[in-house]
Amino acid sequence: MATFKSISSIFLVFLTFLNVAISLYEDQIGKFDWKQSYIGNIKFGSFDSVKRVVVATDENVIASLHLKNGQIAWRQILESPHGNQIELLHVDKEVITVSGGESGWYVRGWELNLGTILWEWTLYSDKSLKGYWVISKDQLIHLVPAVGSHLEITTYEVRTGRNNGKTLRISAPWITDLSKCVTAGIYWTCISGESSSAELHYIDLSSQLDKVYNLSVEKLIGNAPGKVTLRSLQYAEPDILLIRNGVGRYVRLQPELPKVFTYGLSPNVAVAPNGDQTLLIQLESSSENPENIQIHSVELEEGKENRIETDYVNKTGISHIITALCRGSACRVLFSAQDHSISLLQLPAGKVAWTREEALSHIVATEFLELPVSELDASIEHEFDSVSGDVFGTLYHRLTSQARQLSVLLTGQQSTSNTGLVRDEFGLHKLIIVATNVGKLFAIDTITGNVVWSRFFNNVESFSLLNKHGMLLFVQRTARYSPLIPQCVLLMKDKITGNGIMYTFDPITGESLQLERLSYQINQVMLLPYEDDEHLKGLLILSGDSQVHLYPSSSKSILLKHASTTFLYTANPKQGTLHGLSLAYSTPENIKAVPTWSLNLGQAELVAVGIRPINERVHSQGRVLADRSVLYKYVNPNLLAIATIKDDSIHKHVLNIYLVDGVTGLIVYSTVHKRADKPVHLVHSENWLVYSYYNERFRRIELGAIELYEGSVQSNSTAFSSHAVSQLPHAEAQAYIFPGTPLAMQATITERGITNKHILVGLSNGAVTEIPWAFLEPRGNQGILNPEEGYIPYIPELPLPSEATINYNQSLARIRGLQVAPARLESTCLVLVHGLDVYYTRVTPSKTFDLLKEDFDHWLIAIVLIGLTVASYVTKRLASRKALKQAWK
Amino acid sequence: MATNKIQNRRLKWSLDSTRNNRVSTVNDTVLASPPAYSTSGTLGSSEVAKKTDTGHLIIKKSWELALAPIKQVPMNLFIMYMAGNSISIFPIMMVGMLFMRPIQALFSLNSTFKMLENSSAIGQKFVYILGNFINIGLALYKCQSMGLLPTHSSDWLAFVEPQVRQEYLGGGVALF
Repeated sequence: MATFKSISSIFLVFLTFLNVAISLYEDQIGKFDWKQSYIGNIKFGSFDSVKRVVVATDENVIASLHLKNGQIAWRQILESPHGNQIELLHVDKEVITVSGGESGWYVRGWELNLGTILWEWTLYSDKSLKGYWVISKDQLIHLVPAVGSHLEITTYEVRTGRNNGKTLRISAPWITDLSKCVTAGIYWTCISGESSSAELHYIDLSSQLDKVYNLSVEKLIGNAPGKVTLRSLQYAEPDILLIRNGVGRYVRLQPELPKVFTYGLSPNVAVAPNGDQTLLIQLESSSENPENIQIHSVELEEGKENRIETDYVNKTGISHIITALCRGSACRVLFSAQDHSISLLQLPAGKVAWTREEALSHIVATEFLELPVSELDASIEHEFDSVSGDVFGTLYHRLTSQARQLSVLLTGQQSTSNTGLVRDEFGLHKLIIVATNVGKLFAIDTITGNVVWSRFFNNVESFSLLNKHGMLLFVQRTARYSPLIPQCVLLMKDKITGNGIMYTFDPITGESLQLERLSYQINQVMLLPYEDDEHLKGLLILSGDSQVHLYPSSSKSILLKHASTTFLYTANPKQGTLHGLSLAYSTPENIKAVPTWSLNLGQAELVAVGIRPINERVHSQGRVLADRSVLYKYVNPNLLAIATIKDDSIHKHVLNIYLVDGVTGLIVYSTVHKRADKPVHLVHSENWLVYSYYNERFRRIELGAIELYEGSVQSNSTAFSSHAVSQLPHAEAQAYIFPGTPLAMQATITERGITNKHILVGLSNGAVTEIPWAFLEPRGNQGILNPEEGYIPYIPELPLPSEATINYNQSLARIRGLQVAPARLESTCLVLVHGLDVYYTRVTPSKTFDLLKEDFDHWLIAIVLIGLTVASYVTKRLASRKALKQAWK
Repeated sequence: MATNKIQNRRLKWSLDSTRNNRVSTVNDTVLASPPAYSTSGTLGSSEVAKKTDTGHLIIKKSWELALAPIKQVPMNLFIMYMAGNSISIFPIMMVGMLFMRPIQALFSLNSTFKMLENSSAIGQKFVYILGNFINIGLALYKCQSMGLLPTHSSDWLAFVEPQVRQEYLGGGVALF
């Protein structure tokens, strides 16, 4: 019996796998999906040959880019960028990097062409001080300065990490400010003192380690008022730039007296070695004409100057030159802009060869947007707009629209205003609006993955939302109301004042409608669910001092009408509280949000808040049990899921999950997991919640699932009100072992909610996997009592079959978020995965039941049908003739 | 009209051996009938006997007709038992037949009883209808036991509309 049971359970699991097996065929690769790889904002760069450039970024990534097109030749992702940064990039016959942070340093050697690791050694230092790294021949020199006292120098053999066990200590009371210290070639140099009495100190690290050269800055670049700063040129020669009042002087350090070149240079200068010559390249862009950049090159020895002007489409202004290389008269300059884009400039042609939008490596807000219908369709729709029902008016409309259609047909041209960006039949072609951490807004076409438009905002930053970065992006009006343009709003934070910035724009064209710098800090934002006469949804902003602001102000009257049923909640992670606010006490003069309830989470840390997607529709209102009765779902649209972690003396950490009604503050359900820790991810959908946590006891990731049911009768079958609570819902819960580390989780969403739900989990190994909700559904007693109902028997360990990986072999680095949107096809859900890479695909949780298969043979069916019809007519004829003949016999 | 028809029909089938005799009697009144021969008596008595016989037959036949559906019940029960409760093509076809036959019979009630000349077959008709209803009841019972009747709340779940939300909630994590 037991064996039979186990066999049947295995069989059932196998059956479910058959359902899950939705992986692609080989010829479908890249058909519905695209992937874009990014590397982050570049810190260091170095040309390895004439073909490639090796770069290191602040995302703790090193990569090699093709000079021809900017594509990534290879990319290596190192440790998490929080606490680990690349400090040194040295490109010679091999690439040497030093990366790490407080936990220790990793010294690695990489193969130049393939990017494979050649050797690695680690250095654990107990010093959390900022260190400097210099490579001199085969020696890696580590300098740890202590401000005002001394300098510690340790030398290691670069490939093995062997050192002679000695650390040299040099008394250096002149180290006053580490921001004024740089490495230059094999010298380490500092400036001490203020403007007039400033002194330059430098040490030759290659030979006499204990010899410190001191020199007055005045002696080098003369006496003038103004602060002197120092810049390293990231160049093999021991050259530095002394900058005073925005003018730089090129200084070559030498043991006795440094050589000073007399040209005044801009601080943004790069050194391009050109055989035995050295070229200094400066890029200048004027603020009034940012599209034009001037390239100003100076030959170091001879002082020959050369100026070229060129156009640069990116209007954001050049941040700095990363690296430059010259061969004869041809130079290549790699530079980055304020918006983290990197471009390659070719000289002497003065042409920008390519630009990489590295801003997309850190996306903080996404929104899928439906495209407008084509103008033809729109004109047909307008025919029915006139409600008057006037016969002649309708006739006139019809004639004019048909004349227009005819002219379009004859001239064969659509209007050029929105070329190609037209809604398709299945709603698969959409526009993804993406806001990035650096403050650049992009619109990406879902079919091609191309950037349709972009816009950069200076001096903005994202909000911090529970240890994550986030901006707020709302669709105020969709593209459905054709003559009215769609409208989106993005809320950001001013980097300087901390106040809110509200940017309203047309998402299809990227046209700016309004950029408003608010005079207050934003505490909370709510997109009102009510549309005005022009189908525009209002925006309610709660400022830091709990004032309510409405945009546009015309939405005030609509809000007043619904004020008694509009509620707000704020989760305050700093104080560990949750507040509910009601707008019911608003008057026409004064819209106010009055606190109605508050929940104190105690000493616990708020780690996650989950609310159901606003556009989610629940198709089935209950679950059918084996005795054919119905267990009605508790679908509360105002339900919040909250996860907190509390330190505990016995259980280390305790995870609490609360389900709170956001209107009344009623705790509908709560559960505790002892010895459970971060990371916690929540997925809240329909009447269930799935959360992941780290089990400290067994040292594994587990998934918990909670499902809420109202019971066998619905207390109110037509309306749901949070105030009408007759009894608490019945909850079922179950936990599973998850053989992976989730970085992001999201549930699929479809147009009408008929399709099954899958949970998409972005894993740390780069896969995005699909888990059917049926696998996670708490079976409770139901499953045991009624095994015949198609329940999958409870197996604690969830399987992660490779066929369920939606991104097949395209691993995605450092997944940060998953965004889903329904297509107009019920079976299909669009997915955007973002992290270091951006990946778009579509998933069909119940397979494409509303779509013919791609290999469906239309021709065969048509031919067979036509053949059968013809055959039936012919045989009819023949039969009648035969009958006639027989009758005459 | 009806009686005339019956008369004709009866004349068609009753061989009247006295016909020629009657003619001859008209012609040959001279000849005396043989002793113990009666020209009217025998005919009358046989006529009466025949009449009662067909009436009986009709009643018998009509009762047979009326009881036919009830006689089918044991057979139907047996078929139902044999078909089982699984939902597959043959039991479904069988259930369909169980339904179709009594309903068809009920619709063709008048034409069925038209064959019987006896107009006063109310009792038979009632029994006939009752029998058919018993058959329909059996079919319904079969549907019920097969689970085809929408008698559970789960059968109407697809028509349950989602609840309309009365309150709207917005907000999130505090942004500063």
